[in-house]
Amino acid sequence: MYDATYDTTQETAVTDVKIKAKDVQVYYADNHAIKDVSVEIEDKTVTAFIGPSGCGKSTFLRCINRMNDTIDICRVEGDILIDGDDIYDKRVDPVQLRAKVGMVFQKPNPFPKSIYDNIAYGPRIHGMARNKAELDEIVERALRRGAIWDEVKDRLQAPGTGLSGGQQQRLCIARAVATEPEVLLMDEPCSALDPIATAQVEELIDELRQNYAVVIVTHSMQQAARVSQKTAFFHLGHLVEYDDTSKIFTNPEDSRTESYITGRIG
Amino acid sequence: MTLLWLFLITLAIAAGAFVLARSRVLAQSGQDRRKLHSLPVYYGSNAAMKSAIPALLVLVIWLIAQPFVVNNAVSGMISDSAIADNSSRGLVLAEVRRAADGLDLAVASGALTADQATDPQSDFETVTSAIEESGAILTSQITEPVLRAAQAFRAMTATGKRLMAGVVLLIAALGALWGLRETSPEFRARNVVEQGVRALLIAAASIAILTTLGIVLSLVFNTIEFFRLYPASEFFFGTNWAPSFSGRGGASDLGILPLLWGTFYISIVALIVAVPIGLFAAIYLSEYASPRLRAIAKPMLEVLAGIPTIVYGLFALLTVGPLLVSVFGDEGLGWMQAGTAVMTAGLVMGIMLIPFVSSLSDDIINAVPQSMRDGSYGLGATQSETIRQVVLPAALPGIVGAILLAASRAIGETMIVVLGAGAAARLSLNPFDAMTTVTAKIVSQLTGDSDFASPEALVAFALGMTLFVITLGLNVFALYIVRTYREQYE
Ligand SMILES: Nc1ncnc2c1ncn2[C@@H]1O[C@H](COP(=O)(O)OP(=O)(O)OP(=O)(O)O)[C@@H](O)[C@H]1O
Ligand SMILES: [Mg+2]
Repeated sequence: MYDATYDTTQETAVTDVKIKAKDVQVYYADNHAIKDVSVEIEDKTVTAFIGPSGCGKSTFLRCINRMNDTIDICRVEGDILIDGDDIYDKRVDPVQLRAKVGMVFQKPNPFPKSIYDNIAYGPRIHGMARNKAELDEIVERALRRGAIWDEVKDRLQAPGTGLSGGQQQRLCIARAVATEPEVLLMDEPCSALDPIATAQVEELIDELRQNYAVVIVTHSMQQAARVSQKTAFFHLGHLVEYDDTSKIFTNPEDSRTESYITGRIG
Repeated sequence: MTLLWLFLITLAIAAGAFVLARSRVLAQSGQDRRKLHSLPVYYGSNAAMKSAIPALLVLVIWLIAQPFVVNNAVSGMISDSAIADNSSRGLVLAEVRRAADGLDLAVASGALTADQATDPQSDFETVTSAIEESGAILTSQITEPVLRAAQAFRAMTATGKRLMAGVVLLIAALGALWGLRETSPEFRARNVVEQGVRALLIAAASIAILTTLGIVLSLVFNTIEFFRLYPASEFFFGTNWAPSFSGRGGASDLGILPLLWGTFYISIVALIVAVPIGLFAAIYLSEYASPRLRAIAKPMLEVLAGIPTIVYGLFALLTVGPLLVSVFGDEGLGWMQAGTAVMTAGLVMGIMLIPFVSSLSDDIINAVPQSMRDGSYGLGATQSETIRQVVLPAALPGIVGAILLAASRAIGETMIVVLGAGAAARLSLNPFDAMTTVTAKIVSQLTGDSDFASPEALVAFALGMTLFVITLGLNVFALYIVRTYREQYE
């Protein structure tokens, strides 16, 4: 049933490895949340993480931009390389890394600032604009790519928290792309959105694929099938299966994957 | 019968009603509690409630009302001619009460027989000398009318007490009977008890509210009284504070401006100390400190809030003042005359306010959702950038509220000022001068022998009222800000 929406462009996609994880283990105190995960995520590709609740999708996603550093009890072992560089190396500054690996969260979290300042936040911190005109340009470009420019162009000074949930989420996506990341991590970005806003975000993800490696966590099989070229299925902290999306949804190798996508476990 | 006994007997009647009602309803149902509307304990409680509550209510009202009634009656016995020129009815009545106490003492020590003390025909000389020997405190020579009034006073008080005991016990017994008669298996005792509990809670709440109201009203009446004696414009706009000491004779200057200036100056110094330190401590504790350190440091900081202000006052007087003098005094920079100064009180008050600011701000900073911080970190911001640009702006209204609450505490603070800032009311810009505040002057106007009819004493109420209005305004404003902020996230 998923073939109908399946995107055939992936056959011709460039297949550079952007992120390479080897034997990653994550512990929350004594809880072993990620076990022996090795995966190679390709550049200019949308990779979907699927799996039942609590299987460690978010945890693994947060390893990729070292957001887990902000959790005291969290411990990460193994190697994660982006463009061949180990991001858990001592010399790597996690703050720099996060500018390169953007993140969009499950719940839209605009800052209690104006729409303009929400977008300009990252570029200002990283000194990306030489003057006001350049900053204006960056903000406009980000909002256009976030597919929200037309809705907010007349009220850039209005608070970002005053937007609707779907608009807020697109604002957060625009905020993330404003810093020109190379990788965009999205943790259930559509879970709070209605079908129309979801469709807009999915369209946006498809566009972002031209420039970025996009990793998206989702609980919707349809969404994974619609937007991704690669799918990884997690179960109880293990990466059970990782393959082309078409293969996972039509002909999975592991029986657990099949049970999950047909709705028997989860 | 003493009050304690009366109270205990009433309770005993109520307890008896409880037991009787309970066993009565059980008997009526043939020991089968399933046939009862409510649990047996509710029937007992209903009877006990009906017996105790009206009786105790009457007791309280009687205790409050009796002195007024007796005073009025006695006052009628004293003719205007019996009141000396330099005295007043109130003073004579006070004398009557003291004489009555003297009679009690004399009877207790055996100098007078009970009959002699009460008999209005008894010999004036022997009775007065007995009173004087009994050790009662009298201010002037007892006159014949005063003695007779005192005897009447005693008699009426004694009758009143006896009457009260009778009435209270009667009501308790009637209430118990009423509760018992109601008791039957169909009676909805549970609902009645529920209403009783509710009434009890309402009574508690209204006592709290009425007391506040009473305090405010007494302030208002006394303030109005003061403004009858002293022009309001001179009070609010006068720049000189110089009450005359005798209380009478000699005009006083009672301008509030020097006191308000002292209050604000000291409060501002205190806030300049407390706000940055408290805020930074809060930021450190909520954002940087490890949970273990936080668990230790936060309660320790809050211990500071539990130190009585008089201890801070001593600290100001004995440590901070001399320290400042050694630096800014004649031996140092020569700006400071003595240890008591705006600076001394302000610094110490600032220390007192640190835990106040920090623990409120800490709560507010913690209320900023983690998702805000994650969003900022996810864009590659450092921790301090995140705090400065996301957390603090989000928490700002709440922090402003916390600061306003701290300010209203600073304005109301007294002990530190009395001990640390001196007693001189003056309008000066030098923070090393001694100054004083509204609260400290309220204390000094009311301590010692004060005549509550003079403007010098009544001014305390006007000062208190002004302070009350200012801090009330600040608190309302602070709460308003804090509340609007809370609504954003919850
Ligand atoms: N901050 C944390 N502290 C302790 N344990 C955590 C924390 N976050 C996640 N865990 C644990 O790690 C495991 C994986 O959680 P994770 O959030 O990665 O699941 P998930 O796959 O994203 O689930 P969902 O689909 O519900 O979001 C769970 O057992 C969870 O209890
Ligand atoms: Mg998750």
